[in-house]
Amino acid sequence: MASRGRGWLAIVAVVAVGVALTLLVQERYHHRVLTLVFLWAAMGLAWNIISGYAGQISFGHQVFFGIGAYVTVLLVVKAGLTPWIGMGVAVAVAVLAAVLIGMPTFRLAGIYFGLATLAYPLIFRIVMDWLGYQEVAIPMKREQPGWFMQFNEPRSFDLLALGVLAATLVLSRVIETSRLGYRLRAIKENEQAAEAMGVDSFRCKMAAYMLSAAPAAVVGAVYIHAILFIVTPEAVFGLLVISQTLVVCLVGGSGTLWGPLVGAALMVPVSEILDTTVGDRLPGIQGVVYGAALMLIMLGAPEGLYWRVRHAFRARGGGEATRLAIVAPPAEDGAAAVPTETVLLEVRGVSKAFIGLQALSDISFDVREREILGVIGPNGAGKTTLFNVLNGFLVPDRGEVRFLGQAVTGLRPSALCRRGIGRTFQVPRTFQHLTVLENVMVGAFVRVGPVHVAASTARSALAKVGLADRADALPTGLTTLDLRLMELARCLATAPRLVLLDEPLAGLSGDGVAVMISVIRGVRTRGVTVVIIEHTMQALLRLADRLIVLDQGRRLAAGAPGQVTQDPAVIEAYLGKRWLARMAAR
Amino acid sequence: MLTIAGLAVSYQGLHALAEVSLEVGDGEFVTIVGPNGAGKTTLLKAISGTAPAEAGRVAYRGRDLGALRPSERAALGIAHVPEGRRVFPSLTVMENLELGSYRRAARAGRAQALDEVLGLFPILRERHRQLAGSLSGGEQQMLALGRGLMARPDLLLLDEPSQGLGPRIVEQIFETVDRIRRERRLTILLVEQRVVEALELCDHGYVLETGRVVLAGRREALLADARVQRAYLGA
Amino acid sequence: MVLAELVQYVATGLLVGGVYALMSIGLALIFGVMRVVNFAQGDFMMLGMYLTYFYAMSGSVDPLLGAILTIPPFFALGWAVHRGLLARVTGGGDPQRQMDAQLILTLGLSLVITNATTMILSPTPLGIRTAYATQAFALGPVLLNQARSYAFAMALLLAAAVYVFLTRTDLGKALRASADDPEAASYQGIDVRAMHGLAFGTGIALVAAAGGLLATYYPIEPTVAGNFIVLMFVAVVLGGLGSIPGAFVGGLVIGLVQSLTLLVLPFQLQNTGVFIVFLLVLYLRPQGLFGRRARTV
Repeated sequence: MASRGRGWLAIVAVVAVGVALTLLVQERYHHRVLTLVFLWAAMGLAWNIISGYAGQISFGHQVFFGIGAYVTVLLVVKAGLTPWIGMGVAVAVAVLAAVLIGMPTFRLAGIYFGLATLAYPLIFRIVMDWLGYQEVAIPMKREQPGWFMQFNEPRSFDLLALGVLAATLVLSRVIETSRLGYRLRAIKENEQAAEAMGVDSFRCKMAAYMLSAAPAAVVGAVYIHAILFIVTPEAVFGLLVISQTLVVCLVGGSGTLWGPLVGAALMVPVSEILDTTVGDRLPGIQGVVYGAALMLIMLGAPEGLYWRVRHAFRARGGGEATRLAIVAPPAEDGAAAVPTETVLLEVRGVSKAFIGLQALSDISFDVREREILGVIGPNGAGKTTLFNVLNGFLVPDRGEVRFLGQAVTGLRPSALCRRGIGRTFQVPRTFQHLTVLENVMVGAFVRVGPVHVAASTARSALAKVGLADRADALPTGLTTLDLRLMELARCLATAPRLVLLDEPLAGLSGDGVAVMISVIRGVRTRGVTVVIIEHTMQALLRLADRLIVLDQGRRLAAGAPGQVTQDPAVIEAYLGKRWLARMAAR
Repeated sequence: MLTIAGLAVSYQGLHALAEVSLEVGDGEFVTIVGPNGAGKTTLLKAISGTAPAEAGRVAYRGRDLGALRPSERAALGIAHVPEGRRVFPSLTVMENLELGSYRRAARAGRAQALDEVLGLFPILRERHRQLAGSLSGGEQQMLALGRGLMARPDLLLLDEPSQGLGPRIVEQIFETVDRIRRERRLTILLVEQRVVEALELCDHGYVLETGRVVLAGRREALLADARVQRAYLGA
Repeated sequence: MVLAELVQYVATGLLVGGVYALMSIGLALIFGVMRVVNFAQGDFMMLGMYLTYFYAMSGSVDPLLGAILTIPPFFALGWAVHRGLLARVTGGGDPQRQMDAQLILTLGLSLVITNATTMILSPTPLGIRTAYATQAFALGPVLLNQARSYAFAMALLLAAAVYVFLTRTDLGKALRASADDPEAASYQGIDVRAMHGLAFGTGIALVAAAGGLLATYYPIEPTVAGNFIVLMFVAVVLGGLGSIPGAFVGGLVIGLVQSLTLLVLPFQLQNTGVFIVFLLVLYLRPQGLFGRRARTV
């Protein structure tokens, strides 16, 4: 990611190689293979935008391919419109289709999304059949072949296909290096964490889907003119199109520019040659090769060949012993380290029930600016449910939450993040395949747009928690403490007024606890209010100004730590009435 | 019967247990208490096999369990009644109980075991045709406990049977556990948050805090030790 | 439109729906226990059709019996496929990744099976000739094709057998328990990985048998899978992913929908109604008629 200049250079190199091949290759048949390599690489890149970057695996992307083919050809047939312009119309139709399909479909979760994407090409096939377009042939235009994309010289098709590939490469690269690209990858890695970091995942997915539809439509249009010449529903909406796309992307590697290139360069010639040489005796050899390729890659290298090779070369970061660098917090000068009287967050009468369980009952409390408020309670008290309500992951059945004087009940997590409520999670939710810096940048993007500004915001956030020297490491090599610090930095990069920390000390050793405590104090000194759920009581007593005790979904007590831990009702809640009696009897 | 030495377990990437050692003798009742997040549930999972050990050893009847999968450990006579009950919601009460005696050694005595368990929990006999998912929390706990007993276990692991239940049901549950302990030759390892009820049942116990054993002792000693409170409330 | 005509369509739809129901039960069992969407389900059905044809041609075995005889070899095949392929694809522990990865794996498997069969066997459609394929029972004004009727009856029988297996045997209950809660199942001593193999084997065996029954009235060719895989998916989603009684009902409903669509649309468009139902279910009630909220969603 740091080598941005190198990425563009590589694209230029690839295009140059493509041009060279175009000029060097002689046989007409080899030109066909070359054209196919370019086209399928471009199609793979298009699919990669929604399924590789954003991780929304679509099994129906051929819808846009088919739209590109049909619209362009039908415009030639019916209106005599040149495909050079017709392609533009096809792109517009495809993007519109992406909006119409995407809007209901992205609301589906998990496997239902994949299943729904299967349905659309089938529907289009039926529609085309019904409209009577079972076979639409491109009419010959001998007078103006170039104007109608009917070149005699095969090299022209090569260059056209290469042009499409180059444009898609550029589009992918622009996305990759933009704010959208970071957000898409965050969504892919951990959608909930992304939402908590201010990413509106629905809008990002829609944007990606629309951007992925356009090149697919162009590929379809060119494919018809260069290779197929006759449009049938089966040929453009059928299973083989998506299989080919999947093979190219999955064998090569998704989530990267180079994967589809590798995949196409490898798989297309193989299958074409097999088809030509033994295709007559063994019809369906292409399907077998593609199917076998998909199976083998899922079994052996599900991330794709590009990543597999790259990981083999990349040195693993981390694995060092726990670093004990204690971050020197800014001097706790009196004013900054003391809570003010301003109420930042008001919780009023919040209740939430699940099936058979009243998780929260009529919870009310205030959070004052710059205080460190601890939320404690025995198991099942409803603490995490409370955070999920405050953070926007759950909507309360009753009650109201006001932040900075404004009602925020029921807003999405991304909206709350933008208003200034940040969150870390009980089990750190990292973006695994992004570096530490990139993780934190996702948070920074809530406030800033350009990538380099986000990078510097991220760096300063990392410095605040003491992780500046780990900026380029991957999360997999980090210790629990570092992961928690990274999550905190990511949260701080969103410039919150208030942070919800869910068990930040869980899983830490004594030294780690000390580091974490000093960092959290530093956060408060810098003006951020902290609400923290914790079970590690001895540590929390040192940290918190005030405690609130929940038990069985109700607020049991609130007050200074020393007072609350001696409160008989609290002792009873944790250890039982009989323990209390025993202790009192002594 | 059960010896744990130097056990360290990570769960979901976090260090849940670090250096835990304990002993459960044949026929003993051992209680483990401690606050939320202390690693109590992870400890039981390490014994029954669903949480792999990073370091240390879990030995059952002298045999290192390390290589065995959960179903294999259950086949040896270890019954785990998990936290949150985890009954099979789409199966009936009767089917849940029958599955309790799935392991080969228990199948022969199924009819008799069923009789005993239904005698212990008459409400289950009443509701035997009902889907387990439609039972109340307390009934589900009894079902989970009954299911565990159906396996004719030698070692019974009980994970927070009182969780999420009202005080009267909890009393009932503990009474039943006490009755089970008196009537059968079972070794029981109980994990609980409710300190007194749980400690009163045991022969000896341990207090866990943030993944370590901070206190250990015989029943009376722990019941009188104010340091137990510190593990929960820090003071 | 005469009432008798409507009843005829309904009757035919139900008859056909019975076989769809059997196909779908296999898919639902696989998804319920393993959380795998088996894209290759239709291809195993196709292979079942060919095996039944083989039994008919070489041993003069009636396809209704031949369908039953596909069960043992396909169970073994399913078990082997699980062990050799599915069990090795874990998607790195993330349940969503795993589902995606296994869907792609089974898609690849589907491509291989369909195309290899096209390569090895002739693409010419085959048919099994039986006396009853061209005859019909007359139930008042309604004509019930005999082949379809027998296939329907057999399908119901097999479905009933599955029901008995799942509710009366220890193994069947263990399967359902593994679908409900794999971790708790392992605490009872249930080997959940073996349950996966069992579920997959059974699911494949059922769909192969369904194929055999289908072969009594439907032409056998390598590409037949494509016509039915969508129907199976819709039936399972309609019934509720993971619910076996749901899949059964879903299959019957899909048969009805397909048949009734023919009242208004020509034969090539007979699946239009099915797709409309699919989209309606996905958007209005994704958990289907009987489904629970899926564990991983």
